[in-house]
Amino acid sequence: MNYKLISGILGAFAVGFRNIFKRRMTLRYPEERLDIESGYTFDAKSNTGSAGFKGRHILYTDKCTGCSLCAIACENIADCIDMVQVEGNWPINPKNIMPQIDYGRCVFCGFCVDACPFDCLFMTPEYELSATDKRKLVHTPFQLAVFPEKKGNVKLISDDGVAYHD
Amino acid sequence: MKNAGMNIEDKGGDQLVLHVGPQHPGSGHFRIIVTVDGDYIVGAKPDPGYVHRGAEKMAEYRDYIQNIPHLERPVIIDATGVTLPYVLTAEKIIDVEAPERAQYIRMIMAELNRIISHLYWLGIYGIFLGHSTMFMWPMGDRELFIDLAESIGGTRVTFSYVVPGGVRNDMPTNFKERALKTFDYFERRIEEYKKIFFNNPIMTARTESVGILSPADAIKLGITGSNLRAVGIDSDTRKDEPYCLYDRVDFEIPTRKEGDSYARCIVRLEELQQSMNIMKQVLDLIEPGPIKQVIGGVMRGEPGEAFVRTEAARGTMFYHIVSDGEKNPYRVKISVPSFRNLIGMTHLLVGSKLADMPAIYWSLDYWPVEADR
Repeated sequence: MNYKLISGILGAFAVGFRNIFKRRMTLRYPEERLDIESGYTFDAKSNTGSAGFKGRHILYTDKCTGCSLCAIACENIADCIDMVQVEGNWPINPKNIMPQIDYGRCVFCGFCVDACPFDCLFMTPEYELSATDKRKLVHTPFQLAVFPEKKGNVKLISDDGVAYHD
Repeated sequence: MKNAGMNIEDKGGDQLVLHVGPQHPGSGHFRIIVTVDGDYIVGAKPDPGYVHRGAEKMAEYRDYIQNIPHLERPVIIDATGVTLPYVLTAEKIIDVEAPERAQYIRMIMAELNRIISHLYWLGIYGIFLGHSTMFMWPMGDRELFIDLAESIGGTRVTFSYVVPGGVRNDMPTNFKERALKTFDYFERRIEEYKKIFFNNPIMTARTESVGILSPADAIKLGITGSNLRAVGIDSDTRKDEPYCLYDRVDFEIPTRKEGDSYARCIVRLEELQQSMNIMKQVLDLIEPGPIKQVIGGVMRGEPGEAFVRTEAARGTMFYHIVSDGEKNPYRVKISVPSFRNLIGMTHLLVGSKLADMPAIYWSLDYWPVEADR
């Protein structure tokens, strides 16, 4: 038994022991949820986006013209956007078509948001999209138009040698 | 059908043929056929291709933007590392140049991804040496860096953030403050990692003098990345052929002379510190300005070809694009570091004990999906 062996093992134990008393990092999902400030948006005039989470889309139905550019942008990436007929009277949307998104295929790259020239398709911090039926993953334009409610209030904080969710 | 599954084949005498993988938790999505004589490996034949998805051929049917989400799939834990050389090559073809601020943000994302990828590797390496604390800690601390990357890129792993002409969005305003706090936390954490894992005699006993690679063999076999630096050769594309604005920052290339599994581990641990040093300098250098050169309409390349070499998390990543002037590239060739390190694996495994196989295999940081692409 040499000195290096003993000091190495004791040192490893000491570090492990010290960490027992530190605050835990675990996020107790789903009792706690991460607070995500904003979704990814894109300004068509300056052609740059603003930083944000790429979650479920939000569609502003009053601004959508049915130009299909989002569906064209999604071609060859995930092929998840279909333009579907919608009911009602939409003055700036002569064909009455709006995007319908299949979240079973979406990869959340956000290139559809970049493609929209009328600033009507953005992304939200909503990430809980699981469903028990595959067909429920297809969100109609009116489902996309509903802004999700804010759920999380916990942030990942690191200071003074400890990282925790609070 | 003889070698189709996971079976044991008797070679006669004392030799046995074992199939490890492709769904074995200790191998990743990759099969390695080892011949053992008692406890010693006398032959190792890697059998890659289980997760081959034809990324190169797929790239010929997609335009320069549509390719980005597809080409980052092979290495999702190093998403910027794999898309950055593609975008730099595409920029040469399309003839645009990203503004200075975009170049700096690209460097930040590339270094964040390097840390995320190395921490993932460290967690896996810990659990395969039987050290479950070293699985939990890096995976937890990786979350902090994912959080930083998410605040810029918008998703946890596949950012699709770097595009020809610049980057898609600017950094959040409080990024510098948050990043410096995380680096301060993680620098203390590295000291704890050293005490519990890297200076732990049980870990050193399993990795020191295991899988020794000589510098001459490393060059002959074409080893790249941290595995090459662990044999004492200070090769790093960021220094040798600076891309983005790596020539403006000052950093060291960590090297070790031993060339064993332990040297490969400690080199990666030191690279974490160097990546944070680079990011700190970049956060001081970065100035407000435009982040994107706007390209009107569909991007079309000039007829011709271009190639770019960058340093991804696992080593040198090389892209060669041939364009015929259409909106899709004519041919995209990706040369990935994992595939080159695979050649070294056969060399290292032969002659070692079967029990040392996880220690050697994972020390190479081989990512099967990247190698198969």
